[in-house]
Amino acid sequence: MTGALRILLVEDEPIIAMTAEDMLDAIGCAVVASAATLEEALAASARGGFDLAMLDINLNGVQSLPVADLLKQLGKPFIFTTGYGADGCGPHTDVPLVAKPYRIVDLEAAIARAIGERR
Amino acid sequence: MPELKAFLEGGGEAGALIRAHGWDSTLLGPIREWPQSLRSSLGIALRSPTASAVFWGPDHVFLYNDAWASLLAGGRHPWALGRPAREVLADIWPALAGQFAGVLRNGKAVNRIDELLVRNLGGETFDSYWSYSLLPVAGEDGRIAGILAQVRESTPFVLRGRREALMLRMAERLRLVGDPDAILEAALELVGEEVDAARIGYAEFDEEAGTISILGCAVKPPLADNKGTFPTPDFGRDIGEDLRAGRTIRIDDSARDLRLEDPRVRKTYAALGVASALVVPIVSGERFRAMLFAHHHEPRRWMDHEAALLRQATEHVWREISRARAEAELRRSEERYRRLFEQANDLIVLATLDQVITDVNPAAAAAIEMPPDEIIGHSIADFLAPGQFDQAKRMLQQKIEHGGTTQHELIIVSRSGRRLNWDINSTLTLDKSGNPIGLHAIARDVTERRRAEERQRLLVNELNHRVKNTLALVQGLALQSFKDGRDMAEARAAFQLRLAALAAAHDLLTRESWEGATLEALAAETLGLHDGGEARIAWQGPPVRLNPKAAVSLVMALHELCTNAAKYGALSVPGGRVEVGWSVDGDLLTILWRERGGPPVRPPERRGFGFRMIERALAADLDGSARLDFEPEGLICRIEASLADAATRGEAP
Repeated sequence: MTGALRILLVEDEPIIAMTAEDMLDAIGCAVVASAATLEEALAASARGGFDLAMLDINLNGVQSLPVADLLKQLGKPFIFTTGYGADGCGPHTDVPLVAKPYRIVDLEAAIARAIGERR
Repeated sequence: MPELKAFLEGGGEAGALIRAHGWDSTLLGPIREWPQSLRSSLGIALRSPTASAVFWGPDHVFLYNDAWASLLAGGRHPWALGRPAREVLADIWPALAGQFAGVLRNGKAVNRIDELLVRNLGGETFDSYWSYSLLPVAGEDGRIAGILAQVRESTPFVLRGRREALMLRMAERLRLVGDPDAILEAALELVGEEVDAARIGYAEFDEEAGTISILGCAVKPPLADNKGTFPTPDFGRDIGEDLRAGRTIRIDDSARDLRLEDPRVRKTYAALGVASALVVPIVSGERFRAMLFAHHHEPRRWMDHEAALLRQATEHVWREISRARAEAELRRSEERYRRLFEQANDLIVLATLDQVITDVNPAAAAAIEMPPDEIIGHSIADFLAPGQFDQAKRMLQQKIEHGGTTQHELIIVSRSGRRLNWDINSTLTLDKSGNPIGLHAIARDVTERRRAEERQRLLVNELNHRVKNTLALVQGLALQSFKDGRDMAEARAAFQLRLAALAAAHDLLTRESWEGATLEALAAETLGLHDGGEARIAWQGPPVRLNPKAAVSLVMALHELCTNAAKYGALSVPGGRVEVGWSVDGDLLTILWRERGGPPVRPPERRGFGFRMIERALAADLDGSARLDFEPEGLICRIEASLADAATRGEAP
C-alpha cells in the first residue's frame, strides 16, 4: 500500500476505533498504530512511523492535550475528534476538529486540511 | 378765705375731696390753720403723677393723691383720707411703723426698692412688692413734722422675674433628662417652690376614651399622690369644655363652686381631698393634650402669678415630655433596626463614599471570617477579588449620577481565601438635604447557586459528550452490521439485537447510578435475555464489581457470543449448553465461556464484527485480553482482566 497515508489512531472506544479504521481504509489511509490511553498515545507519538494522528480529545475522562502538545512539538500533523463541542482544544485552535459521530466526508476534509497546511 | 385753700387747686379729685372734707374736729384741724410746710408738701403730692401722699404729724395722718387712691383696694378710698397710717395700712403697719418713726425722729429719708410686704386684705394673705421713698418734711419750727411719700407697686415685675428665673432653672434641669417620669418629677418639684399648694400634678387627656390620667404628683401633707384615671365629666360641669378650649380653670372653694354641684363630682373632689384647684390645660396642634394642676386641701384664692407660672411650666413640661418620648421611641426604633441588622441572614455592609467600611452585620462578618471591628475601617477593595473594585466604583458612580439602587454581583474573598459570590443591592445614604454621604449594601451569598449552576453546566456538557459517544457507538454498530455483502434482513436483525444489548447495558448502569455493576447482574441481564427460560446457559462466580465502561463492553461481548452460539454454536441445536464461570486470583479476573453439545466447530474463514469486537473491546476496556479457541467440541472464550483496573477505570458518573 505505497502512497497510503499512515495514521496513528488515538481513540478509547474500541467500536468507534473500528469504525474509524474502516472509514480511513475507505479513503485510502492505513492505521499503522493505535492507542486507547494517554500513556499509550504519548508513547506511540514519540515512536513515530506515521504521517498523521487522529486524536480523541477525551480519553476515558483524561484530556489528551499533552499528546497534541507533543505532536506539535514533533511537527506531526494531526486532527482532533470529540464528542464535546469546540472547546477542549486548548491552544490548538487551528487544528481541524471532527465532531462525533463523524461522517466520512468530514474526516476526509479534516485530514486534507491538516496535511495541506503542512505541505 | 378762698386764698387759704388755693394750694388744693389742680389737685384733682383728691384735692377736691380734701377741700370738701370736714377737718375741724380732726387731728389736723381746719385747713386754714394748716402750717405752710404741710400745705407745700401736700401741694407737691397732689400734683405728682405717681402715687404720692403726705403722712403728717406723730400719727402720720394720711393725705394722698389720685394715683394713690387707685392703689387703695377693698373700698378703703375715700375712707382712708385723714386717718392715721396705722389704721389705713393696718396689715403692713408692723413692718412700716419703725421706718415712719425713724424718719420723724432722725430726719433721714428712707428709700426701698421691691420691698416685700405681706398683705392681708379681706381675710386673704398674699405677697406684694413695693418700691417707695419716705422724705422728711420740716415744720415751721425746723423739726420734722411729716413725711412726703412716693410709692410704686412692683409686684407684677418681681413675680414675672421670679417666674422667669424658675423657668430658666427648669429648662436647665430638664434639658438633659431622657426619662419622661424623671422630667415630671423634677418639673413638679420646681413648680412647688413657687406655687404653695399641697399637690402639684401632671395629667394627660385621652380624647378617645374621654378620660384624664394623673401621671405624676408632687405632694405635701395632708394630700397624697393620686395617680389614676378619671372620666372627664367627674371633674365638673363645663370643666371639660374649658380644658378643650385651653382655658385656665380656677376653683377657689370646691364646696361653693356651682360647676361642682353634681354628687358624683363632689365625690371625686372629696376622694382627691381637693378644696381648691388651679388647672392649666395644654393645647397642642389645636387639641387638648395634657394639664398641669395645683390642688389644695383648703379653699384659697389662686393668684395670677401662680396661674401664669403654671401655664409657662405646663408648656415647657409638655415640650420636654414630648421630646423625651420621641427620643425614647427613636431609641426603641433604633434598637429594633439594630436587632434586624444583627439578626439578618442577609449580608449588610455600610460604607462611606470613599468605600471605607463603617459597619457590617454579624452575617457579613461571619462570611468574611473576621470580627466586625476588624473589618470596619478597611476599604471595600480589601475584600474584593482582583478587578472587582473597578466594577464596584462604576456602580457607585452610577448611583451618584442617576440615584436609585444598583444590583450587581461581586466576588468577595474571605480571610481564608474562599471566593464568595455576593449578589449586592446597594443604595446611597443621603443627608437631610439629599446629598449622598455614604452607601449601604444588602447582599445575598449566591456562591452555592453559582456552584450548582457550574455543576449543572458540567453535567449538561458531560451528558452531551455521552450522547455523542453513544451515537458514535451506534454509528459503529450500524456500519459494521450493514457492511457490504451482508444479507439485509440478517444485518437488520443483528443490528437491532446489538442496540437492544447496548440499551440493556445502559439500563443496568442507570439502575446502579452509573457506579458500575456486578458481574452477576451483568450475566443475568444479558444471558437471561438469550436463554429464553430454557436454562441452557448457566453462570457462576464470586461477587465482582466492574466499572461502567468495562460493564458495557462485557455486555456487548456476551451478547455477541450468545448470538454466535445461537446461530452456529451450542445454542443452534437442541441439547447444546453454555457455561459461563468466572474466578478471581489476586487482581486477575478470569471469565470462561464454554460451549458444549453443539455441532462440530470449525474456525471461521473470516472473523466477523462480533469476534473482532470481543477481542478488541474487551482487551481495551477491561485492560486485559480475550482469546477465542474454536475447539471441535465447542467454542471457548477466555477473558482475562486486571480487576483493579476494570473496577476503578472509567469515566466520572
